[in-house]
Amino acid sequence: MIQSLADGILVGAVLSLGAIGLTMVMHMLRFANFAHAELLTIGAYAALVFDRVFQGVNATLGAKLAPLTLTGSLVVAMAIAMAITGASAVLIDRFVFRRVREKGGELSMVFASFGVALIVRNVIGLIFGLHTELYSKGIAFAVVVSRDPLLLIKPDQVFVLAATLVIMLVLHLVLSRTTLGYALRAVAENPSLAQVNGIPLKRMIVLIWVIGGGLAATAGIFYGLTNHLSPVMGRDLVLPIFAAAIVGGIGSIYGAALGGMIVGIASSLALLILPSGYSPSVPFLIILAVLLVRPNGLFGEVRA
Amino acid sequence: MTMKRSVHTAGLGLVLGLGLVPVAGEAMAQSCTQKIGAVLPISVDWGRPIAETAKFVVEQVNSVGGVAGCNIELVLRDDQTDPKVGVDAAKALVDIDQVPVLLGSVSSGVSMPILTSVTVPGKVMQMSCCSSSTAFTKLAEQGKTDGLWFRTFATSRVQAAVGAMVARDKGYKSVAILYKNDDWGQDIGKIVAANLEKLGIKVTAQVALNDAQPSYRAEVAEALAGQPEAVYLALYPTEGTAAVREWLSLGGTQNMIMANSLKSDDFRKNVGIEYLGNAVGTDTSSPRTPSAEAFVKRYVEKFGGQPNGPGLANSYDATMIALLAMQAAGKDAKGPQIAAMVAKVTDPKGTPVTADAAGFAEATKILAGGGTVLYQGATGNVKFDANGDVSAPAVVWSFTNEGTKEDTYIPLEEVDAFVASMK
Amino acid sequence: MIGILSYLVFFATLASILAIAVLGLNLQWGNTGLFNGGVAAFFGAGAYVTLILGGQPQDEHLGGFALPYLVALAGGIAAAALLAWIVGRLTLKLRHDYLAIATFGVAVAFENVMRNALWLTGGAQGLRGFERPMRDLLGDGLNYNSVFLAFVLVLLLLVYGVLQRLAGSPFGRLLRAIREDEDAARSLGKMPARIRLTAFVTGSAIMGLAGGLYGTFYAFVSPQDVLPTLTFQIWAMLIVGGAGNNRGAIAGAFLIWGAWTASGWALSRFAPVEAQLYTGSIQFILIGLVIVGMLLWRPQGLFPERLVVSQSGKPGH
Repeated sequence: MIQSLADGILVGAVLSLGAIGLTMVMHMLRFANFAHAELLTIGAYAALVFDRVFQGVNATLGAKLAPLTLTGSLVVAMAIAMAITGASAVLIDRFVFRRVREKGGELSMVFASFGVALIVRNVIGLIFGLHTELYSKGIAFAVVVSRDPLLLIKPDQVFVLAATLVIMLVLHLVLSRTTLGYALRAVAENPSLAQVNGIPLKRMIVLIWVIGGGLAATAGIFYGLTNHLSPVMGRDLVLPIFAAAIVGGIGSIYGAALGGMIVGIASSLALLILPSGYSPSVPFLIILAVLLVRPNGLFGEVRA
Repeated sequence: MTMKRSVHTAGLGLVLGLGLVPVAGEAMAQSCTQKIGAVLPISVDWGRPIAETAKFVVEQVNSVGGVAGCNIELVLRDDQTDPKVGVDAAKALVDIDQVPVLLGSVSSGVSMPILTSVTVPGKVMQMSCCSSSTAFTKLAEQGKTDGLWFRTFATSRVQAAVGAMVARDKGYKSVAILYKNDDWGQDIGKIVAANLEKLGIKVTAQVALNDAQPSYRAEVAEALAGQPEAVYLALYPTEGTAAVREWLSLGGTQNMIMANSLKSDDFRKNVGIEYLGNAVGTDTSSPRTPSAEAFVKRYVEKFGGQPNGPGLANSYDATMIALLAMQAAGKDAKGPQIAAMVAKVTDPKGTPVTADAAGFAEATKILAGGGTVLYQGATGNVKFDANGDVSAPAVVWSFTNEGTKEDTYIPLEEVDAFVASMK
Repeated sequence: MIGILSYLVFFATLASILAIAVLGLNLQWGNTGLFNGGVAAFFGAGAYVTLILGGQPQDEHLGGFALPYLVALAGGIAAAALLAWIVGRLTLKLRHDYLAIATFGVAVAFENVMRNALWLTGGAQGLRGFERPMRDLLGDGLNYNSVFLAFVLVLLLLVYGVLQRLAGSPFGRLLRAIREDEDAARSLGKMPARIRLTAFVTGSAIMGLAGGLYGTFYAFVSPQDVLPTLTFQIWAMLIVGGAGNNRGAIAGAFLIWGAWTASGWALSRFAPVEAQLYTGSIQFILIGLVIVGMLLWRPQGLFPERLVVSQSGKPGH
């Protein structure tokens, strides 16, 4: 029970990070971006490439920061991967989403995002192969925190949780304390009014993609660190991430953060009741349950 | 002209694909071409070697004169593991290319609709290397396959039995089972659990692992909860790697029993050999004959590695037996005639022949003289029962630094006796 | 020659079955603007229930009620409609993008239940024991397939005819009115929620019919038949054909399915063996590019919606 709770929170941290980016994009551009989870894949693989490059250049960078399996080279690679993923998101928007947006309804966007997801996933599969990859082959053993009740925790996961909390705090400060944050929120509330007030809409959209992409890259790398990488990891993560964003309420960053934890914990606890074969349905059941009670999610506002 | 061209293209493809030294003169020696079809998931990472192995067999048979004086052309189609795509491909092969024999597929969910809607209605023999579902046996028992269905994949009973034997011999008192949640995994998981309980070994958990799950943490935690002494793994390398790494990091036992699907270099490297010292695997096996060793040797020469991978030996035998049966049936034979000849080339009383070009040539002579042969294949002395199923001897294997090694050989009689005692 | 004919009959049968499903989706999306991301679930409900009701008794799973074929097929349609009614009651009040995700989740859950409920559906091994109707009379070969194709074509035309009439009827106008401006429709005293539910259930029942025919054609269904890929394929057919146009929906089904199979045939014939490992990925990239390309350069599809009635006051028009 305690173990399931802890597992849920630790697994949920990655979902939270993914969901924050998704919820911002969904709120701002008003469409369900099924390609968002592919940004996690882009980030994770970009970090893999640069991690290998840095280790090749300087072997000491490859040393593990005990007790983590995280290496110095991966930390540096992470920064580059965030930039690459943010840039990819902007480019995808520039070449696909923006044009579709200008042409038609927001629902064409949903389908366009399906198409984009398919392309990204298979291109990555072509380049890197379909097999799983790992940042570090070594197995990080869990630490026994308590014997009774039994509680095991992996250092990597604690790091991921802590890093996630720090990122959320920074994001919170940016959004609530800076002019940039005000501008972003104004655009999200009412794009036309914001534009009238001199906020450059296009630049704000670019900014949203950069932030969303950067957070997605972090989520992808953290997922790779605590699990593994594969070209289809986006496909595997898309439903839980959507669940987290919707549970929290679209547009609510705190909601998304909490939503990730809820989905993680629920998936973990669900196996205490359900046979494990049913676990892919759990995120969906959570979505449905929350929407029935609160049609706009836990922290979402009613929106036209 | 067009036919000659297509032979040429196929030959060229083979040469390119398999890195062969071209032997164009020989390949062109036959005056006619006989097509056979294959529907396999070649776009899936583990599916391609299965297809390559089938091509390798065709090439060997062509090198000794082909079948009934005709050069064999293998038309290969991808099914993307999508039943619609596989069935359509099979229908095109049967109708347009007029193949009398179809090899495939791997997924039971693809092989089954091909069987019910293409090959049985079209009176074409279907030989699958790898479909494991017990549903085929039931269909055959109900007389719905018209004797056209065969598979060289020993049903999951053999591996499940040997897995349970290993647990008994190692003296494990409690075992948790992790299985892939597909037709093969559900089947083998169920049988292993039944066998273990029959042996008085406690099954602490039976946990299904779905494809495409972001994390197996909760599943692994569930399996760990019963604190089993050992764990049985009916998984493929992808989810196997993820689950076993999670299992070990949470302090799970290193006493593992693996199905043959984990006989994979990816799995060994990504988990780490240092944790696999107490891991033993099961597999169906070749008999202890010189020809089986010759097969391995030829395979290594050809592909530069051991035939380690799901379905390779099975694919080899499926193709070879299909071609032998075609040879026995003679030129321009149709599906049912060829299917009827399968018994003649896998006859326990027949003359043993080896699983290579020389064996095929020898079989050709014996069959021409009205005799029968016993094909000694890469998976053993393949013998089909009335439902098109095979039984096979088994081995227990373990990982080494370089690959795998064989620990024990369990003859067919012993496997059969054990399976019978489990009923 | 006869072989090619036989193959074409087979191809046309499956394409027609898929076209029926695309017509169902067109009613939901093209006419009413409901984003159904769970086509596979309604298609699958039709297939599974038809086979369970019409099949021979089996030990391993429920079913084998051996009902007359048309009754079984009607049962399949009813099952899809019932599922749609439940899902619709729960989700249709959601915003569009939530609806897409919720229905996508329905399909995931549906596949999941089919895979795990061994007593009900045979689990991952699939559902067997179904005999194709009138097999004794027609045998198994080309004759059978031709008659079955005729049967499917009749149903396709029937569905098409009904939907065409519907589009021109006051109800059809109402659907489009709701799609374009729900508030305006409501202000005219219409009840959008109920009408949307009707459209959703009807469209899903049509998908159920397609699923039932699909199961009949293969005499088998397994969880592999109801993966999200199917939803995606049906959507691609509608987008390429032209949302809102029933003729476009049918053309889209034949075009996309034709391209899907022809590319496999061409790759097996002309691509070098090495490239074949990648054909699956390449095919999916091509499909993705077609979708995105269509949305970019011809968002109305190859056969754009022909407006039977006056256009709404969409800004910018």
